[in-house]
Amino acid sequence: MSLIGHPIVPGGRFSRKTDMPTPALGLLLVLPALAVILLLFVVPLAASVAGAFEVGGGFGFGNFIKTFELYTSDILFTLMIVSLSTAIIGALAIAIGGYLTLGENPRAVALLRWLYRWPMFVPFIVVGQVLRTFLAKNGLMNNVLIGAGLITPMDATSFLDWRGIVIAFVWKQTPFVALLVAGAMASVDRGTLEAARNLGASRVRILLEILVPQVAGTLMVALVLSFVTMMSVLSVPLMINAQSPTMITADIAFRINAYGDYGVANALGVVSLIASAGVAWLYLRHSVKERA
Amino acid sequence: MNDDAFLRIADLSVGYGATRVLERLDLAIGKGEFVALLGASGCGKTTLLRAMAGFVAPSTGTVAVDGRDVTLMPPDRRGMALVFQSYALWPHMTVARNIGYGLKLKGLSRAAIDRRVAEIETLLGLEGLGARKPAALSGGQRQRVALGRALAVDPQILLLDEPLSNLDARIRLKVRHEIGALQRRLGITAVIVTHDREEAMAMADRVVIMEAGRIAQQGSPEEVYSRPASSFVAAFMGAENVLALEGQVAGGAVHIAAGRQSSSATLTLDGRLLSSGRLEARFRAEAVEMVAADAQASRAEGLTIAGRVEAASYLGGGWRHSVRVGDQTLFADAARPFDSGAGVELRIPGDKLFLFNLPTSSSAPDATALEAAAELSPAAPRGPVERVLQAS
Repeated sequence: MSLIGHPIVPGGRFSRKTDMPTPALGLLLVLPALAVILLLFVVPLAASVAGAFEVGGGFGFGNFIKTFELYTSDILFTLMIVSLSTAIIGALAIAIGGYLTLGENPRAVALLRWLYRWPMFVPFIVVGQVLRTFLAKNGLMNNVLIGAGLITPMDATSFLDWRGIVIAFVWKQTPFVALLVAGAMASVDRGTLEAARNLGASRVRILLEILVPQVAGTLMVALVLSFVTMMSVLSVPLMINAQSPTMITADIAFRINAYGDYGVANALGVVSLIASAGVAWLYLRHSVKERA
Repeated sequence: MNDDAFLRIADLSVGYGATRVLERLDLAIGKGEFVALLGASGCGKTTLLRAMAGFVAPSTGTVAVDGRDVTLMPPDRRGMALVFQSYALWPHMTVARNIGYGLKLKGLSRAAIDRRVAEIETLLGLEGLGARKPAALSGGQRQRVALGRALAVDPQILLLDEPLSNLDARIRLKVRHEIGALQRRLGITAVIVTHDREEAMAMADRVVIMEAGRIAQQGSPEEVYSRPASSFVAAFMGAENVLALEGQVAGGAVHIAAGRQSSSATLTLDGRLLSSGRLEARFRAEAVEMVAADAQASRAEGLTIAGRVEAASYLGGGWRHSVRVGDQTLFADAARPFDSGAGVELRIPGDKLFLFNLPTSSSAPDATALEAAAELSPAAPRGPVERVLQAS
């Protein structure tokens, strides 16, 4: 899933002891791990990237030209949906973490703490299915709204388009980001919050000006991981939005299943890889600046 | 207690769940006064400070500033600024933004904030550090930024929660002096919480010694040091040597009966509130005049105890001896070291011997009296309330 993770190689340090051939021994020790990474991670990735440039026996940009001719709108659609979802997830995670840290009603805090993690343990495919029945034109949501007299049956519309995907992503990914953010917030020195309150800061100001800046690093990591996860989800766009434009993952599946066209599929994969790497780079640049 | 108190705590009780931390506490602090709340950990001194600041809601009682009841007001409406033990500086803000944040919250203009921050930086010797983050400061500098952040909003009352406990010993002495001087210069009312009696005495005009959620004694540093009102206060103020004695009060004097190791003595009462019966005597190691057993002790009024030197250690300026007296060990200072095993006499002048009545219920025979007293911890529960507090 993660294209930005750097696997940790164990045994990277050689021991300098007596007359043993230590460098060779060290290499031997690290070999199994190295082999697994090379064979299962680096080689397939390199093969896919290389495959994106293969055109009829030679190499060229043919697959990319075709990709951008056919799928530019899908690429933009994907980036916009995932970016919007990431922004909403960030805002909700801050709200949840903030309430867990600053909330003054212990019962409400306990209830929220118990409730918010549930979606983490629901697979994407199930989320897609749940929301498909919930958001459809005659689904549970509209039935409830009509039953409550808030809308008429004529006004009921289906949410099974880009909005459905965003709702599914936010529903599934918010708990993960909130979990990391709330953990970081809990370890912030409470004195820093009380000092702000002592000087007259409101709770919203304490959250945005004191608490969030202190957990910004954790929030960024969680959002980057979330972004990359959402870029790679196939089930949700297939179940909720089986129309055009759709997400890159659905296009990749379609190229392979319908045409056996691995070239364009690989090119789409490279585009998605570059988008994810771009986000990771933004994060790295931020963390380097923080440290400087 | 004066009626024109600036900060008045009345009948204040605070509890966490079933545990009572403060018990019907009264305290009045005058304008411009520097008061130290002194006590062992768990005595409720920090809770009292936090209740003043508005971070802890009392179950009963009131906090009033300048005649205005602030008990139910949020922390920022009380005219108080709190300096935290951990400093609690905001790590993502520069020194200047840390100091200026309170002013920003008050809606001051950028220029006014900059001016005030510069003033505070000059006042606290933080010039040139305004652009640094707290992580790039030394402990002493961080402490001053925390102080500056509190002072920037021009509070009526400055509250300090163990502000020196995170500094190393040498810097602590310096900062202690600086805070005291600053408080006098600004004329600000200040309350400091500390467990260090020297710190409390050096900085404050008045020392309030707390024990198990109540005030054990309050007074000027000299008063609480030389006239402790209870055995607990005496022990807390450094009179760790303890002896059990028998005394008869008559004619403005207390006549102490001779024990197995101690001589008889007659001491003028000199304001001591004593009744006849079993007494607990407390004294400091430095109050003792220590002489060889065969030498002539001076003739002045006092109690003499015979003992045998166990060990001596050099403290700088003098030697501290542990002296075996019966079943227990006392500490005594002398200008020169005595040999281990040497027989000595410890003479404690009357004005440096603190005497308190022991509870009358126990009537142990004289031989075990010393031992019984040795087991009397200064924090031993006395009343039912204290017993509850201790149990929790």
